[in-house]
Amino acid sequence: MNTSLIIVEILVALLGLGVLMADLWLPAERRRGLGWVAAAGVAVIFFVGLKDAAEVSYAFGMPGAKTGMYVLDGLAVFFKQFFLLAALLVILMTTEYAPKLGTGVSEFYSLVLFALLGMLFAASANDLVLLFAALELVTITFVVLNSYRRDQTASIEAGVKYLILGATASAFMVYGMALMFGAAGTTNFNEIAAAQKALGGSPIFLAGLVMVFAGLSFKMALVPFHAWAPDVYQGSPAPATAFLAVGSKAAGVVLLLRLLFAAVPVIASRWQHVLGGIAAVTILYGSLCAIPQLSLKRLMGYSSIANAGYLLLGMVAMSKTGASGILFYVTGYLFTVLAAFTVISVILARTDSDDLSSLHGLSQRSPWLAGALAVAMASLAGVPPMAGFVGKFLLLKPMVPLAAADPFLACVLGVALVGVVISLYYYFGVVRAAYWGNGTADLTPIRTTWAVRLALGICIVGIFWLGVLPDALIQASTPAVEVLRPESPVTPQQAAR
Amino acid sequence: MNIHAGLTHYLVVSALLFCLGLLGVVGRRNLLVIYMGLELMLNSANLALVAFSRFNNNLNGQVMVFFVITVAAAEVAVGLALIVALYRRRQTAHVEDLVSLKL
Repeated sequence: MNTSLIIVEILVALLGLGVLMADLWLPAERRRGLGWVAAAGVAVIFFVGLKDAAEVSYAFGMPGAKTGMYVLDGLAVFFKQFFLLAALLVILMTTEYAPKLGTGVSEFYSLVLFALLGMLFAASANDLVLLFAALELVTITFVVLNSYRRDQTASIEAGVKYLILGATASAFMVYGMALMFGAAGTTNFNEIAAAQKALGGSPIFLAGLVMVFAGLSFKMALVPFHAWAPDVYQGSPAPATAFLAVGSKAAGVVLLLRLLFAAVPVIASRWQHVLGGIAAVTILYGSLCAIPQLSLKRLMGYSSIANAGYLLLGMVAMSKTGASGILFYVTGYLFTVLAAFTVISVILARTDSDDLSSLHGLSQRSPWLAGALAVAMASLAGVPPMAGFVGKFLLLKPMVPLAAADPFLACVLGVALVGVVISLYYYFGVVRAAYWGNGTADLTPIRTTWAVRLALGICIVGIFWLGVLPDALIQASTPAVEVLRPESPVTPQQAAR
Repeated sequence: MNIHAGLTHYLVVSALLFCLGLLGVVGRRNLLVIYMGLELMLNSANLALVAFSRFNNNLNGQVMVFFVITVAAAEVAVGLALIVALYRRRQTAHVEDLVSLKL
Protein backbone atom coordinates (compact mmCIF):
# COMPACT_ATOMS: atom_id res chain seq x y z
CA MET A 1 0.00 0.00 0.00
CA ASN A 2 1.09 3.47 -0.79
CA THR A 3 1.30 5.46 2.47
CA SER A 4 2.11 8.67 0.65
CA LEU A 5 -1.58 8.86 -0.24
CA ILE A 6 -2.62 9.41 3.36
CA ILE A 7 0.33 11.60 4.30
CA VAL A 8 -1.94 14.55 5.11
CA GLU A 9 -4.00 12.48 7.54
CA ILE A 10 -0.87 11.07 9.18
CA LEU A 11 0.57 14.56 9.63
CA VAL A 12 -2.65 15.92 11.12
CA ALA A 13 -2.89 12.97 13.53
CA LEU A 14 0.74 13.49 14.60
CA LEU A 15 0.14 17.21 15.05
CA GLY A 16 -2.93 16.53 17.20
CA LEU A 17 -1.05 14.03 19.38
CA GLY A 18 1.93 16.38 19.54
CA VAL A 19 -0.20 19.24 20.85
CA LEU A 20 -1.76 16.89 23.39
CA MET A 21 1.66 15.69 24.60
CA ALA A 22 3.21 19.16 24.63
CA ASP A 23 0.49 20.20 27.04
CA LEU A 24 1.89 17.76 29.60
CA TRP A 25 5.36 19.25 29.62
CA LEU A 26 4.83 22.93 29.00
CA PRO A 27 4.34 25.26 31.94
CA ALA A 28 0.80 26.65 32.15
CA GLU A 29 1.64 30.18 31.04
CA ARG A 30 3.18 29.01 27.78
CA ARG A 31 0.31 26.76 26.72
CA ARG A 32 -1.51 29.55 24.92
CA GLY A 33 1.30 29.49 22.39
CA LEU A 34 0.25 25.98 21.43
CA GLY A 35 -2.56 27.54 19.40
CA TRP A 36 0.01 29.22 17.19
CA VAL A 37 1.92 25.93 16.88
CA ALA A 38 -1.25 24.11 15.85
CA ALA A 39 -2.20 26.86 13.40
CA ALA A 40 1.28 26.92 11.89
CA GLY A 41 1.26 23.14 11.57
CA VAL A 42 -2.08 23.16 9.77
CA ALA A 43 -0.86 25.98 7.52
CA VAL A 44 2.27 24.02 6.60
CA ILE A 45 0.19 20.92 5.82
CA PHE A 46 -2.18 23.09 3.79
CA PHE A 47 0.61 24.49 1.63
CA VAL A 48 2.98 21.51 1.45
CA GLY A 49 1.09 18.31 2.14
CA LEU A 50 -1.41 18.34 -0.69
CA LYS A 51 -0.64 17.46 -4.26
CA ASP A 52 -3.17 17.97 -6.96
CA ALA A 53 -4.66 14.62 -7.87
CA ALA A 54 -4.03 14.35 -11.58
CA GLU A 55 -5.22 10.78 -11.51
CA VAL A 56 -7.55 8.92 -9.21
CA SER A 57 -5.75 6.62 -6.82
CA TYR A 58 -7.12 4.21 -4.26
CA ALA A 59 -5.79 2.78 -1.02
CA PHE A 60 -6.87 0.09 1.47
CA GLY A 61 -8.41 -2.17 -1.13
CA MET A 62 -8.48 -5.93 -1.45
CA PRO A 63 -5.21 -7.26 -2.88
CA GLY A 64 -5.37 -6.98 -6.64
CA ALA A 65 -8.57 -4.94 -6.67
CA LYS A 66 -8.73 -1.78 -8.76
CA THR A 67 -10.68 0.05 -6.10
CA GLY A 68 -10.32 0.64 -2.40
CA MET A 69 -11.81 2.12 0.75
CA TYR A 70 -9.90 5.34 0.41
CA VAL A 71 -9.86 7.44 -2.73
CA LEU A 72 -7.67 10.40 -3.58
CA ASP A 73 -9.19 12.34 -6.45
CA GLY A 74 -9.98 15.92 -7.33
CA LEU A 75 -13.02 16.06 -5.04
CA ALA A 76 -11.05 14.67 -2.11
CA VAL A 77 -8.21 17.17 -2.60
CA PHE A 78 -10.66 20.07 -2.92
CA PHE A 79 -12.38 19.19 0.33
CA LYS A 80 -9.12 18.41 2.14
CA GLN A 81 -7.96 21.95 1.35
CA PHE A 82 -11.34 23.22 2.48
CA PHE A 83 -11.17 21.42 5.84
CA LEU A 84 -7.56 22.41 6.50
CA LEU A 85 -8.39 26.06 5.83
CA ALA A 86 -11.47 25.86 8.07
CA ALA A 87 -9.45 24.28 10.90
CA LEU A 88 -6.73 26.91 10.51
CA LEU A 89 -9.22 29.76 10.88
CA VAL A 90 -11.00 28.05 13.77
CA ILE A 91 -7.71 27.58 15.65
CA LEU A 92 -6.83 31.26 15.12
CA MET A 93 -10.27 32.17 16.44
CA THR A 94 -9.76 29.90 19.45
CA THR A 95 -6.58 31.70 20.51
CA GLU A 96 -8.79 34.73 21.13
CA TYR A 97 -11.47 32.71 22.94
CA ALA A 98 -8.89 30.75 24.99
CA PRO A 99 -9.31 32.58 28.33
CA LYS A 100 -12.91 31.36 28.49
CA LEU A 101 -11.81 27.77 27.98
CA GLY A 102 -9.62 27.86 31.06
CA THR A 103 -6.90 25.27 31.58
CA GLY A 104 -8.11 22.80 28.96
CA VAL A 105 -7.27 24.95 25.99
CA SER A 106 -4.58 22.70 24.50
CA GLU A 107 -6.94 19.72 24.51
CA PHE A 108 -9.38 21.94 22.65
CA TYR A 109 -6.77 22.49 19.93
CA SER A 110 -6.00 18.80 19.66
CA LEU A 111 -9.70 17.91 19.55
CA VAL A 112 -10.14 20.37 16.70
CA LEU A 113 -7.28 18.58 14.94
CA PHE A 114 -8.86 15.16 15.54
CA ALA A 115 -12.19 16.39 14.18
CA LEU A 116 -10.21 17.68 11.21
CA LEU A 117 -8.72 14.20 10.81
CA GLY A 118 -12.20 12.70 10.63
CA MET A 119 -13.21 15.28 8.02
CA LEU A 120 -10.10 14.58 5.93
CA PHE A 121 -10.95 10.88 5.89
CA ALA A 122 -14.58 11.70 5.09
CA ALA A 123 -13.40 13.63 2.02
CA SER A 124 -11.76 10.45 0.74
CA ALA A 125 -14.39 7.89 1.78
CA ASN A 126 -15.07 5.41 -0.97
CA ASP A 127 -16.63 2.76 1.22
CA LEU A 128 -19.50 2.64 3.70
CA VAL A 129 -17.12 1.47 6.43
CA LEU A 130 -14.78 4.44 6.03
CA LEU A 131 -17.77 6.77 5.70
CA PHE A 132 -19.05 5.51 9.05
CA ALA A 133 -15.71 5.56 10.85
CA ALA A 134 -14.83 9.06 9.60
CA LEU A 135 -18.24 10.47 10.42
CA GLU A 136 -18.18 9.01 13.92
CA LEU A 137 -14.73 10.43 14.58
CA VAL A 138 -16.17 13.83 13.71
CA THR A 139 -19.39 13.34 15.70
CA ILE A 140 -17.81 12.04 18.91
CA THR A 141 -15.14 14.73 18.86
CA PHE A 142 -17.79 17.37 18.44
CA VAL A 143 -19.73 16.04 21.43
CA VAL A 144 -16.68 16.87 23.54
CA LEU A 145 -16.07 20.21 21.83
CA ASN A 146 -19.71 21.27 22.25
CA SER A 147 -19.78 20.52 25.96
CA TYR A 148 -16.34 21.96 26.52
CA ARG A 149 -17.40 24.71 28.90
CA ARG A 150 -18.45 22.51 31.77
CA ASP A 151 -18.99 25.57 33.95
CA GLN A 152 -22.00 26.46 31.85
CA THR A 153 -25.18 24.39 31.91
CA ALA A 154 -26.01 25.47 28.38
CA SER A 155 -22.80 23.99 27.03
CA ILE A 156 -23.32 20.61 28.73
CA GLU A 157 -26.90 20.61 27.55
CA ALA A 158 -25.78 21.28 23.99
CA GLY A 159 -23.36 18.36 24.26
CA VAL A 160 -26.03 16.00 25.59
CA LYS A 161 -28.47 16.96 22.86
CA TYR A 162 -25.86 16.50 20.17
CA LEU A 163 -24.82 13.19 21.69
CA ILE A 164 -28.31 11.67 21.84
CA LEU A 165 -29.52 12.92 18.47
CA GLY A 166 -26.16 12.23 16.82
CA ALA A 167 -26.04 8.70 18.17
CA THR A 168 -29.61 8.07 17.01
CA ALA A 169 -28.67 9.30 13.55
CA SER A 170 -25.61 7.05 13.47
CA ALA A 171 -27.67 4.07 14.64
CA PHE A 172 -29.99 4.68 11.69
CA MET A 173 -27.00 5.00 9.42
CA VAL A 174 -25.37 1.76 10.60
CA TYR A 175 -28.62 -0.13 10.17
CA GLY A 176 -29.00 1.35 6.71
CA MET A 177 -25.45 0.27 5.88
CA ALA A 178 -26.24 -3.24 7.08
CA LEU A 179 -29.22 -3.35 4.72
CA MET A 180 -27.22 -1.91 1.83
CA PHE A 181 -24.45 -4.40 2.46
CA GLY A 182 -26.95 -7.24 2.62
CA ALA A 183 -28.56 -6.33 -0.69
CA ALA A 184 -25.41 -5.38 -2.57
CA GLY A 185 -22.96 -7.83 -1.04
CA THR A 186 -20.33 -5.09 -0.89
CA THR A 187 -19.69 -1.81 0.88
CA ASN A 188 -17.49 -0.29 -1.80
CA PHE A 189 -18.99 2.66 -3.69
CA ASN A 190 -17.54 1.62 -7.06
CA GLU A 191 -18.88 -1.89 -6.74
CA ILE A 192 -22.28 -0.59 -5.61
CA ALA A 193 -22.30 1.76 -8.61
CA ALA A 194 -21.56 -1.16 -10.93
CA ALA A 195 -24.48 -3.14 -9.51
CA GLN A 196 -26.97 -0.33 -9.04
CA LYS A 197 -29.13 -1.16 -12.07
CA ALA A 198 -30.08 -4.42 -10.39
CA LEU A 199 -30.16 -2.93 -6.89
CA GLY A 200 -32.58 -0.17 -7.84
CA GLY A 201 -35.47 -2.60 -7.58
CA SER A 202 -34.43 -4.08 -4.25
CA PRO A 203 -36.58 -2.69 -1.42
CA ILE A 204 -33.96 -3.69 1.17
CA PHE A 205 -31.27 -1.67 -0.63
CA LEU A 206 -33.55 1.34 -1.03
CA ALA A 207 -34.56 1.22 2.65
CA GLY A 208 -30.89 1.10 3.59
CA LEU A 209 -30.08 4.00 1.30
CA VAL A 210 -32.85 6.10 2.84
CA MET A 211 -31.51 5.38 6.33
CA VAL A 212 -27.95 6.33 5.37
CA PHE A 213 -29.34 9.49 3.77
CA ALA A 214 -31.09 10.24 7.07
CA GLY A 215 -27.80 9.89 8.93
CA LEU A 216 -26.05 12.29 6.56
CA SER A 217 -28.99 14.72 6.71
CA PHE A 218 -28.39 14.94 10.43
CA LYS A 219 -24.82 16.12 9.79
CA MET A 220 -26.03 18.72 7.32
CA ALA A 221 -29.02 19.70 9.53
CA LEU A 222 -31.68 19.11 6.88
CA VAL A 223 -35.35 19.00 7.84
CA PRO A 224 -36.56 16.67 9.45
CA PHE A 225 -33.20 16.04 11.16
CA HIS A 226 -32.53 19.67 12.03
CA ALA A 227 -33.88 19.83 15.59
CA TRP A 228 -30.47 19.78 17.24
CA ALA A 229 -28.92 22.65 15.31
CA PRO A 230 -30.34 25.76 17.05
CA ASP A 231 -29.83 24.42 20.58
CA VAL A 232 -26.36 23.05 19.95
CA TYR A 233 -25.22 26.18 18.11
CA GLN A 234 -26.44 28.34 20.96
CA GLY A 235 -24.96 26.34 23.80
CA SER A 236 -21.54 25.43 22.41
CA PRO A 237 -18.44 27.58 22.76
CA ALA A 238 -18.21 29.93 19.77
CA PRO A 239 -15.17 28.33 18.03
CA ALA A 240 -16.74 24.87 18.36
CA THR A 241 -19.96 26.22 16.86
CA ALA A 242 -18.00 27.74 14.01
CA PHE A 243 -16.25 24.47 13.21
CA LEU A 244 -19.55 22.62 13.52
CA ALA A 245 -21.21 25.06 11.13
CA VAL A 246 -18.49 24.81 8.49
CA GLY A 247 -16.54 21.59 8.91
CA SER A 248 -19.19 19.19 10.06
CA LYS A 249 -21.69 20.45 7.50
CA ALA A 250 -19.17 20.20 4.68
CA ALA A 251 -18.29 16.65 5.77
CA GLY A 252 -21.97 15.81 5.35
CA VAL A 253 -21.95 17.54 1.95
CA VAL A 254 -18.95 15.68 0.58
CA LEU A 255 -20.23 12.31 1.80
CA LEU A 256 -23.66 12.97 0.33
CA LEU A 257 -22.01 13.98 -2.96
CA ARG A 258 -20.01 10.76 -2.98
CA LEU A 259 -23.00 8.64 -2.06
CA LEU A 260 -25.53 10.19 -4.44
CA PHE A 261 -23.25 11.00 -7.37
CA ALA A 262 -20.63 8.25 -7.22
CA ALA A 263 -22.36 5.26 -5.62
CA VAL A 264 -25.99 5.45 -6.68
CA PRO A 265 -26.41 8.09 -9.42
CA VAL A 266 -29.10 6.11 -11.25
CA ILE A 267 -31.27 5.72 -8.18
CA ALA A 268 -30.65 9.28 -6.97
CA SER A 269 -31.73 10.75 -10.30
CA ARG A 270 -35.19 9.35 -9.56
CA TRP A 271 -35.25 11.20 -6.24
CA GLN A 272 -35.35 14.72 -7.68
CA HIS A 273 -38.74 15.50 -6.21
CA VAL A 274 -37.93 14.13 -2.76
CA LEU A 275 -34.62 16.02 -2.59
CA GLY A 276 -36.26 19.17 -3.97
CA GLY A 277 -39.08 18.93 -1.43
CA ILE A 278 -36.66 18.47 1.48
CA ALA A 279 -34.57 21.40 0.23
CA ALA A 280 -37.61 23.68 -0.04
CA VAL A 281 -38.93 22.79 3.43
CA THR A 282 -35.45 23.19 4.94
CA ILE A 283 -34.95 26.63 3.38
CA LEU A 284 -38.39 27.82 4.45
CA TYR A 285 -38.08 26.44 7.99
CA GLY A 286 -34.61 27.88 8.59
CA SER A 287 -35.49 31.29 7.18
CA LEU A 288 -38.81 31.70 8.98
CA CYS A 289 -37.55 30.50 12.36
CA ALA A 290 -34.52 32.79 12.21
CA ILE A 291 -36.69 35.93 12.13
CA PRO A 292 -37.68 36.20 15.82
CA GLN A 293 -34.30 35.06 17.22
CA LEU A 294 -32.55 37.26 19.76
CA SER A 295 -29.54 35.01 20.35
CA LEU A 296 -26.80 35.54 17.83
CA LYS A 297 -25.56 31.95 17.80
CA ARG A 298 -29.10 30.57 17.66
CA LEU A 299 -29.79 32.79 14.68
CA MET A 300 -26.69 31.36 13.01
CA GLY A 301 -28.09 27.90 13.79
CA TYR A 302 -31.30 28.60 11.88
CA SER A 303 -29.30 30.28 9.13
CA SER A 304 -27.19 27.12 8.88
CA ILE A 305 -30.38 25.06 8.43
CA ALA A 306 -31.50 27.35 5.61
CA ASN A 307 -28.06 27.12 3.99
CA ALA A 308 -28.16 23.32 4.16
CA GLY A 309 -31.34 23.58 2.11
CA TYR A 310 -29.55 25.63 -0.55
CA LEU A 311 -26.71 23.11 -0.66
CA LEU A 312 -29.17 20.26 -1.17
CA LEU A 313 -30.74 22.25 -4.00
CA GLY A 314 -27.50 21.83 -5.93
CA MET A 315 -27.88 18.06 -5.67
CA VAL A 316 -31.42 18.13 -7.05
CA ALA A 317 -30.12 18.97 -10.51
CA MET A 318 -27.83 15.89 -10.43
CA SER A 319 -25.50 17.61 -12.85
CA LYS A 320 -21.89 18.72 -12.86
CA THR A 321 -22.90 22.37 -12.87
CA GLY A 322 -25.00 21.67 -9.78
CA ALA A 323 -22.08 19.97 -8.05
CA SER A 324 -19.75 22.78 -9.04
CA GLY A 325 -22.28 25.24 -7.57
CA ILE A 326 -22.24 23.28 -4.32
CA LEU A 327 -18.44 23.45 -4.09
CA PHE A 328 -18.50 27.20 -4.76
CA TYR A 329 -21.30 27.84 -2.27
CA VAL A 330 -19.69 25.81 0.49
CA THR A 331 -16.37 27.65 0.01
CA GLY A 332 -18.10 31.00 0.17
CA TYR A 333 -19.96 29.76 3.24
CA LEU A 334 -16.65 28.91 4.90
CA PHE A 335 -15.26 32.45 4.57
CA THR A 336 -18.55 34.08 5.45
CA VAL A 337 -19.50 32.02 8.48
CA LEU A 338 -15.99 31.98 9.90
CA ALA A 339 -15.79 35.78 9.55
CA ALA A 340 -19.06 36.09 11.45
CA PHE A 341 -17.99 33.64 14.13
CA THR A 342 -14.59 35.25 14.58
CA VAL A 343 -16.38 38.50 15.44
CA ILE A 344 -18.82 36.60 17.67
CA SER A 345 -15.88 34.88 19.44
CA VAL A 346 -14.20 38.20 20.12
CA ILE A 347 -17.39 39.57 21.64
CA LEU A 348 -18.19 36.42 23.61
CA ALA A 349 -14.64 36.31 24.98
CA ARG A 350 -15.55 39.55 26.77
CA THR A 351 -19.13 38.90 27.75
CA ASP A 352 -21.07 35.68 28.17
CA SER A 353 -24.31 36.86 26.63
CA ASP A 354 -24.69 36.12 22.96
CA ASP A 355 -27.82 38.25 22.81
CA LEU A 356 -28.14 40.54 19.81
CA SER A 357 -27.97 43.48 22.23
CA SER A 358 -24.38 42.54 23.07
CA LEU A 359 -23.56 43.86 19.60
CA HIS A 360 -24.87 47.33 20.46
CA GLY A 361 -22.24 49.99 20.03
CA LEU A 362 -19.90 47.62 18.19
CA SER A 363 -19.38 50.18 15.42
CA GLN A 364 -17.92 52.54 18.02
CA ARG A 365 -16.07 49.93 20.06
CA SER A 366 -14.32 48.51 17.02
CA PRO A 367 -15.20 49.78 13.55
CA TRP A 368 -13.20 46.96 11.93
CA LEU A 369 -15.07 44.19 13.70
CA ALA A 370 -18.39 45.83 12.92
CA GLY A 371 -17.37 46.19 9.28
CA ALA A 372 -16.30 42.55 9.06
CA LEU A 373 -19.59 41.43 10.61
CA ALA A 374 -21.54 43.60 8.17
CA VAL A 375 -19.64 42.15 5.20
CA ALA A 376 -20.25 38.59 6.45
CA MET A 377 -23.96 39.20 6.97
CA ALA A 378 -24.34 40.88 3.59
CA SER A 379 -22.60 37.94 1.93
CA LEU A 380 -24.84 35.45 3.77
CA ALA A 381 -27.86 37.41 2.64
CA GLY A 382 -26.62 37.25 -0.95
CA VAL A 383 -25.72 40.86 -1.70
CA PRO A 384 -23.45 41.37 -4.72
CA PRO A 385 -20.48 41.57 -5.15
CA MET A 386 -19.80 39.02 -2.45
CA ALA A 387 -19.34 35.27 -2.30
CA GLY A 388 -22.87 34.53 -1.09
CA PHE A 389 -24.46 36.18 -4.12
CA VAL A 390 -22.44 34.26 -6.71
CA GLY A 391 -22.88 31.04 -4.73
CA LYS A 392 -26.66 31.33 -4.62
CA PHE A 393 -26.68 32.28 -8.31
CA LEU A 394 -24.61 29.22 -9.27
CA LEU A 395 -26.82 26.93 -7.20
CA LEU A 396 -30.09 28.26 -8.55
CA LYS A 397 -28.98 28.48 -12.19
CA PRO A 398 -29.05 24.73 -12.98
CA MET A 399 -32.50 24.61 -11.39
CA VAL A 400 -34.01 26.99 -13.96
CA PRO A 401 -34.24 24.56 -16.93
CA LEU A 402 -35.57 21.87 -14.58
CA ALA A 403 -38.14 24.24 -13.16
CA ALA A 404 -39.30 25.17 -16.65
CA ALA A 405 -40.12 21.53 -17.34
CA ASP A 406 -41.51 20.52 -13.95
CA PRO A 407 -44.09 22.53 -11.95
CA PHE A 408 -43.03 20.97 -8.65
CA LEU A 409 -39.42 22.00 -9.09
CA ALA A 410 -40.64 25.45 -10.16
CA CYS A 411 -42.31 25.72 -6.73
CA VAL A 412 -39.04 24.62 -5.08
CA LEU A 413 -37.17 27.32 -6.98
CA GLY A 414 -39.79 29.86 -5.92
CA VAL A 415 -39.40 28.87 -2.27
CA ALA A 416 -35.63 29.22 -2.57
CA LEU A 417 -36.03 32.77 -3.91
CA VAL A 418 -38.50 33.64 -1.15
CA GLY A 419 -35.93 32.31 1.33
CA VAL A 420 -33.36 34.74 -0.03
CA VAL A 421 -35.73 37.65 0.53
CA ILE A 422 -36.60 36.55 4.08
CA SER A 423 -32.92 36.11 4.91
CA LEU A 424 -32.24 39.74 3.97
CA TYR A 425 -34.46 40.75 6.86
CA TYR A 426 -32.84 38.76 9.66
CA TYR A 427 -29.24 39.16 8.53
CA PHE A 428 -29.68 42.91 8.41
CA GLY A 429 -31.17 42.74 11.90
CA VAL A 430 -27.66 41.75 13.02
CA VAL A 431 -26.07 44.62 11.09
CA ARG A 432 -28.62 47.01 12.57
CA ALA A 433 -27.75 45.85 16.08
CA ALA A 434 -24.06 46.46 15.44
CA TYR A 435 -24.46 49.91 13.89
CA TRP A 436 -27.69 51.46 15.10
CA GLY A 437 -28.35 49.62 18.33
CA ASN A 438 -28.36 51.86 21.38
CA GLY A 439 -28.80 51.12 25.02
CA THR A 440 -25.40 49.91 26.04
CA ALA A 441 -23.31 51.47 28.73
CA ASP A 442 -20.16 49.61 27.74
CA LEU A 443 -18.39 51.50 24.98
CA THR A 444 -14.85 50.43 25.84
CA PRO A 445 -12.88 49.92 22.64
CA ILE A 446 -12.15 46.29 21.73
CA ARG A 447 -8.51 45.62 20.95
CA THR A 448 -8.08 42.77 18.54
CA THR A 449 -5.13 40.40 18.51
CA TRP A 450 -3.04 39.50 15.48
CA ALA A 451 -4.70 36.08 15.28
CA VAL A 452 -8.11 37.68 14.90
CA ARG A 453 -6.85 40.19 12.36
CA LEU A 454 -5.25 37.42 10.32
CA ALA A 455 -8.38 35.22 10.43
CA LEU A 456 -10.70 38.09 9.55
CA GLY A 457 -8.34 39.28 6.82
CA ILE A 458 -8.32 35.85 5.16
CA CYS A 459 -12.13 35.63 5.40
CA ILE A 460 -12.85 39.11 4.04
CA VAL A 461 -10.37 38.72 1.17
CA GLY A 462 -11.96 35.34 0.43
CA ILE A 463 -15.47 36.78 0.42
CA PHE A 464 -14.62 39.54 -2.03
CA TRP A 465 -12.29 37.38 -4.13
CA LEU A 466 -15.03 34.83 -4.70
CA GLY A 467 -17.56 37.56 -5.32
CA VAL A 468 -15.54 39.59 -7.82
CA LEU A 469 -13.50 36.87 -9.55
CA PRO A 470 -15.62 33.73 -9.23
CA ASP A 471 -14.07 32.15 -12.33
CA ALA A 472 -10.86 31.19 -10.51
CA LEU A 473 -12.65 28.90 -8.08
CA ILE A 474 -15.05 27.56 -10.70
CA GLN A 475 -11.99 26.57 -12.75
CA ALA A 476 -10.35 25.04 -9.69
CA SER A 477 -13.46 23.00 -8.90
CA THR A 478 -13.65 21.50 -12.40
CA PRO A 479 -11.31 18.56 -11.67
CA ALA A 480 -13.21 18.05 -8.44
CA VAL A 481 -16.58 17.57 -10.14
CA GLU A 482 -15.06 15.56 -13.00
CA VAL A 483 -14.87 12.51 -10.76
CA LEU A 484 -18.57 12.64 -9.99
CA ARG A 485 -20.58 10.59 -12.40
CA PRO A 486 -24.08 11.97 -12.40
CA GLU A 487 -26.55 10.13 -14.52
CA SER A 488 -26.33 12.18 -17.68
CA PRO A 489 -29.75 13.14 -18.98
CA VAL A 490 -30.57 11.18 -22.13
CA THR A 491 -30.35 13.53 -25.06
CA PRO A 492 -32.50 12.95 -28.15
CA GLN A 493 -29.44 11.84 -30.14
CA GLN A 494 -28.53 9.21 -27.61
CA ALA A 495 -32.12 8.02 -27.50
CA ALA A 496 -32.15 7.69 -31.29
CA ARG A 497 -29.05 5.52 -31.16
CA MET B 1 -38.54 -31.50 14.64
CA ASN B 2 -36.13 -29.68 12.44
CA ILE B 3 -35.97 -25.95 13.07
CA HIS B 4 -33.84 -24.05 10.62
CA ALA B 5 -33.12 -20.40 11.29
CA GLY B 6 -32.74 -18.65 7.94
CA LEU B 7 -31.64 -15.14 7.02
CA THR B 8 -35.20 -13.85 7.34
CA HIS B 9 -35.42 -14.93 10.97
CA TYR B 10 -32.27 -13.07 11.89
CA LEU B 11 -33.39 -9.99 10.02
CA VAL B 12 -36.80 -9.98 11.70
CA VAL B 13 -35.15 -10.23 15.11
CA SER B 14 -32.75 -7.44 14.27
CA ALA B 15 -35.57 -5.24 12.98
CA LEU B 16 -37.53 -5.89 16.19
CA LEU B 17 -34.50 -5.01 18.32
CA PHE B 18 -33.98 -1.83 16.30
CA CYS B 19 -37.60 -0.78 16.83
CA LEU B 20 -37.41 -1.58 20.55
CA GLY B 21 -34.27 0.53 20.84
CA LEU B 22 -35.90 3.38 18.95
CA LEU B 23 -38.93 3.12 21.23
CA GLY B 24 -36.62 3.42 24.22
CA VAL B 25 -34.90 6.49 22.75
CA VAL B 26 -38.16 8.21 21.87
CA GLY B 27 -40.28 7.13 24.81
CA ARG B 28 -38.07 7.09 27.89
CA ARG B 29 -37.13 10.15 29.87
CA ASN B 30 -33.99 9.02 31.66
CA LEU B 31 -30.76 9.69 29.77
CA LEU B 32 -29.21 6.39 30.86
CA VAL B 33 -32.20 4.40 29.62
CA ILE B 34 -32.13 6.37 26.36
CA TYR B 35 -28.51 5.40 26.08
CA MET B 36 -29.38 1.74 26.54
CA GLY B 37 -31.90 2.12 23.72
CA LEU B 38 -29.18 3.55 21.49
CA GLU B 39 -26.88 0.63 22.21
CA LEU B 40 -29.71 -1.74 21.35
CA MET B 41 -30.15 0.01 18.00
CA LEU B 42 -26.45 -0.28 17.21
CA ASN B 43 -26.36 -3.93 18.20
CA SER B 44 -29.41 -4.75 16.11
CA ALA B 45 -27.46 -3.38 13.16
CA ASN B 46 -24.55 -5.61 14.16
CA LEU B 47 -26.84 -8.62 14.16
CA ALA B 48 -28.09 -7.75 10.69
CA LEU B 49 -24.51 -7.30 9.46
CA VAL B 50 -23.36 -10.62 10.85
CA ALA B 51 -26.42 -12.43 9.48
CA PHE B 52 -25.94 -10.96 6.00
CA SER B 53 -22.26 -11.77 6.20
CA ARG B 54 -22.90 -15.39 7.18
CA PHE B 55 -25.57 -16.06 4.60
CA ASN B 56 -23.84 -14.24 1.74
CA ASN B 57 -20.46 -15.85 2.48
CA ASN B 58 -18.87 -12.42 2.62
CA LEU B 59 -16.62 -11.50 5.53
CA ASN B 60 -16.81 -7.72 4.98
CA GLY B 61 -19.86 -7.47 7.19
CA GLN B 62 -18.11 -9.13 10.10
CA VAL B 63 -15.25 -6.65 9.78
CA MET B 64 -17.67 -3.76 9.82
CA VAL B 65 -19.14 -5.06 13.07
CA PHE B 66 -15.76 -4.55 14.72
CA PHE B 67 -15.80 -0.92 13.61
CA VAL B 68 -19.32 -0.46 14.95
CA ILE B 69 -18.45 -2.02 18.31
CA THR B 70 -15.36 0.15 18.65
CA VAL B 71 -17.23 3.31 17.78
CA ALA B 72 -20.06 2.38 20.15
CA ALA B 73 -17.53 1.93 22.97
CA ALA B 74 -16.03 5.36 22.27
CA GLU B 75 -19.50 6.87 22.16
CA VAL B 76 -20.39 5.33 25.52
CA ALA B 77 -17.18 6.60 27.11
CA VAL B 78 -17.89 10.16 26.01
CA GLY B 79 -21.61 9.89 26.66
CA LEU B 80 -21.39 8.58 30.22
CA ALA B 81 -18.78 11.20 31.09
CA LEU B 82 -21.12 13.85 29.77
CA ILE B 83 -24.11 12.48 31.69
CA VAL B 84 -22.02 12.52 34.88
CA ALA B 85 -20.99 16.12 34.17
CA LEU B 86 -24.64 17.02 33.64
CA TYR B 87 -25.64 15.27 36.87
CA ARG B 88 -22.99 17.10 38.87
CA ARG B 89 -24.28 20.41 37.63
CA ARG B 90 -28.02 19.90 37.63
CA GLN B 91 -28.56 16.84 39.92
CA THR B 92 -30.67 15.29 37.19
CA ALA B 93 -30.41 12.88 34.30
CA HIS B 94 -33.86 13.49 32.89
CA VAL B 95 -34.47 15.00 29.50
CA GLU B 96 -37.35 17.21 30.73
CA ASP B 97 -34.82 19.13 32.78
CA LEU B 98 -32.74 20.08 29.75
CA VAL B 99 -34.52 23.37 29.30
CA SER B 100 -31.86 26.06 29.51
CA LEU B 101 -31.66 26.29 25.71
CA LYS B 102 -34.94 27.58 24.40
CA LEU B 103 -36.17 30.36 22.21
